[in-house]
Amino acid sequence: MKNVKLNQSQINLAQTNQQLQKDSNKVWQFFCSVKLAVVIILVLVVACILGTVILQEKTLDAYTAKYGYGLATFFRIIQLDNVFHSYWFAFLLVLLCANLICCTIKRWRNTFLQTGFILTHISIVLILTGGVVKLQLGIKGGVNIYKGKAVNYFLTQEINRQGKLDYVKKDLPFFIALDDFILEKNEPKFQLVSYIKSKDQQKPLDTKVGKKYRVPGSDYRVTIKDYIPDAELKQEPINTSDKSDNPAIFVKLFGSDKATAEGWLLAYDRNSYEDKKQNLRIEYIWVPSQQELDKAINSIGTANAKLSVAMSGKETSQDYPLDLNKVFKPEGTDYTVKMLQYVLNYGDRRPIGEQPPDNPAIQVEITGPEGTESRWVFEKFPDWDKMHPAKYKNLKITCSGIAGTYMAKNTVRIYQTPQEKQVLVYIKDKQIAETVPWELEKKYTIPDTGNQVMVSNYFPSFDFKKEVVKKSDQVGMPAVFVEVEGPSGKIKDWLLSSNQYATWYPDNNFALVYESTGESIKHFISKIRIEENGQTVAEKSIKVNDPLTHKGYVIYQSSYDPEAGNFSGLQIVKDPGIPVVYSGFGALCFGVVFIFYIKPFLRKKTKKEVEE
Amino acid sequence: MSIINITLIVYVLASIAYIAREIWRSAGTRWASLGLLILAFCLNLAMVAKRSIEAGHPPFSNLYESLVFYACCTAFIYIIFEFAYNFRVVGALAAVLSMLILLYATLQDDTIRPIMPALKSNWMLVHVVTYMLGYAAFGISFVTSIIFLVVKPFAKKGKEGKEAEEGKEILPRNFDKLSYKIVAFGFPFLTLGMITGAVWAKKAWGDYWSWDPKETWSLITWLAYLVYLHTPLVLPKMNINKSKASVILACWLLVAFGIVNFTFMGLSSLPSAADSEHIYGSK
Ligand code: HEM
Repeated sequence: MKNVKLNQSQINLAQTNQQLQKDSNKVWQFFCSVKLAVVIILVLVVACILGTVILQEKTLDAYTAKYGYGLATFFRIIQLDNVFHSYWFAFLLVLLCANLICCTIKRWRNTFLQTGFILTHISIVLILTGGVVKLQLGIKGGVNIYKGKAVNYFLTQEINRQGKLDYVKKDLPFFIALDDFILEKNEPKFQLVSYIKSKDQQKPLDTKVGKKYRVPGSDYRVTIKDYIPDAELKQEPINTSDKSDNPAIFVKLFGSDKATAEGWLLAYDRNSYEDKKQNLRIEYIWVPSQQELDKAINSIGTANAKLSVAMSGKETSQDYPLDLNKVFKPEGTDYTVKMLQYVLNYGDRRPIGEQPPDNPAIQVEITGPEGTESRWVFEKFPDWDKMHPAKYKNLKITCSGIAGTYMAKNTVRIYQTPQEKQVLVYIKDKQIAETVPWELEKKYTIPDTGNQVMVSNYFPSFDFKKEVVKKSDQVGMPAVFVEVEGPSGKIKDWLLSSNQYATWYPDNNFALVYESTGESIKHFISKIRIEENGQTVAEKSIKVNDPLTHKGYVIYQSSYDPEAGNFSGLQIVKDPGIPVVYSGFGALCFGVVFIFYIKPFLRKKTKKEVEE
Repeated sequence: MSIINITLIVYVLASIAYIAREIWRSAGTRWASLGLLILAFCLNLAMVAKRSIEAGHPPFSNLYESLVFYACCTAFIYIIFEFAYNFRVVGALAAVLSMLILLYATLQDDTIRPIMPALKSNWMLVHVVTYMLGYAAFGISFVTSIIFLVVKPFAKKGKEGKEAEEGKEILPRNFDKLSYKIVAFGFPFLTLGMITGAVWAKKAWGDYWSWDPKETWSLITWLAYLVYLHTPLVLPKMNINKSKASVILACWLLVAFGIVNFTFMGLSSLPSAADSEHIYGSK
């Protein structure tokens, strides 16, 4: 009986043992299975995708700005803001290693054909182990060194627990001295780019002289007629006819005896000169007739300032002189218009007397069937209302002559008419102080200021003659002379690389730009020296792709001072895992070549031998 | 006419010739199609050589140059495989694939620019060449998978004996095996490309792996093909029959080739692209 009992417990023990073995067998099977391998790899793929879709290793502020506070916190908690250094990613990699080791042990056969299988699987374990060594013992950072200086530390970047970027100073067991820094640039390159507006298509063209190109996909043809490696645009003022199309005078201003300023004043363009220090202004005013000249002189203030109102669909417009707070009713309309205020420089907070006449405008109030609307009318931007919302779009209001209400303390107005009548009016404190006829090449004294003014030349039809001249034979600012043929005929023009604006073909659909492709860096080289105890122990000119290694630290050229080129940015890396990782790389390379090229080849050979 | 246009046309002609060959199966069409494709490949190779001389650096420094080289590699890998196995229809699609890649290249900016210092390395040369050969093999496996998926529903269960008679000839219903062979041929190139890339990165940027989006996506690509290579070991254990398994694998190859192209050209659309050192067009 006793015996039997004992036997019974023995049997029980044996059963549990078997069960245990079965269970451990199951665990073993699990870790050996390819199924697990495939699942792990697929999860890794998903993790990698998340790691590139979600920005990584940014500060908490950056995440909050991009994803909102809730999502940002969620990402932080499950470490989606640093997938590749997270605990769960590490866990996946450990699982992967376990899987690899188990399946390799299970399948281990001492046959030559197994070489590749074993090598590839072990190589991955090696590479991952090397990666762990790098994370634990490796260190990576950077330092900027100025020419002639030496450092014995560098800085690493870390995201701290608060999600902020931290720099940590790390000491080096030696000094790095920067003896010299050399920046080599490539020769500047230029390209001719064509642009077709209707297709929004940009195409670079060759710039071989004498070549004719058809711009792909269009009817435009471009011929390169000439090329200058270093060109300069010379602009010379000329008179093109005796008709007063674009009157201009050359004015000289004298101080006590020598000329203090001179230049062209154009009636229709840049028609005034202002000397801020002396509070002196010189204006050139062209009046079309004798009567208007008299009128203009007699009412110097607001004489020419007016507001024009036109109804859309009607040809005529009605003019009203500048008169604040008076109500006008344009004929044949249901509207009334009132001028509320005017300024000489819109947006300028200073009193009107101190504003330069840069952007004159009047504020008007329009009352009509749908209530009142207030709008600003700009002298220089008559179409402003077209681009901005307005209640009464059909009412077109413009203004002119407001700039003319501006006057410096001392103003000299040089009037001229086509009938050769010309007067010079000196206005002091908005009062006419003197009126004299003027002649070319004669000096007129401006009372009270000690200045003299002289008109030394007059061009009724002013223009620039453009000439492109060669400055040197080296490539500097090159220019090409091109001929463009298209639907609007032929045009020829110089394109200068110094001009960044496009040159448009008359149909306003085709343009050419001749531009630099940007300055590019050929090499940047740091001459560095390693010093220990005041003695030079190593020396090298490092550049990108060619670092210096000393005591396990590798020193890389990584950046430089972009402005003055005074400092060199070095990257400093220490990674004791490298030998492990590189042996993994080697094993992997050889392993895959073995599995996919050598093994099938050996198999074929043995098969053939068997057949024979 | 520029050499690129001629090359494009010859690719199209080769593709037509392959279709003709599928219809008539004469020796004449056979040599015409292969000859045209080899001609297109030579023209394409001449473009690569010309570019390399004009630019004065290895012709893989921007997307345009890489694409021209990629098209060339695709034709090359196909031609090698045509000598090893009798492929027929695959040639038509392979020629079209090369043609499309080249056509896509014509849309890129092809100005020659000086290369930046980091690209001046022999590792870079090995890296790009092996990668492109790998990608090209995957392109061909993409083509064979398409043909397999299209033809499979129509293919009758042929007799094993007949197949043996035809010797090297591979029937479309066996294209899954062919796909596997091509992937197995391309995978070592991909692996070598990735490792030389890592070694080059170590030299130029100080770290063999920094989880840059381009690096991460090349890992994703590698893992995708690694899964493909391991699944034939899994599927039989999961009670999935052979015919279903081959469809799953063919579909996986289509997805994987999509990943290849995204890694190659699509990365600039990622939000993290702005920080990357390696993505075309992000700097
Ligand atoms: C370059 C990388 C790899 C290559 C070339 C490779 C290749 C192979 C080959 C050829 C086999 C079949 C062995 C045979 O039939 O004798 C195999 C099996 C296996 N591989 Fe990989 N492998 C690689 C990476 C991996 C990775 C990353 C894992 C992930 C854990 C993995 C997990 C497995 C497992 C579990 C098996 C065993 C299958 C079984 O026992 O039935 N392999 N591998």
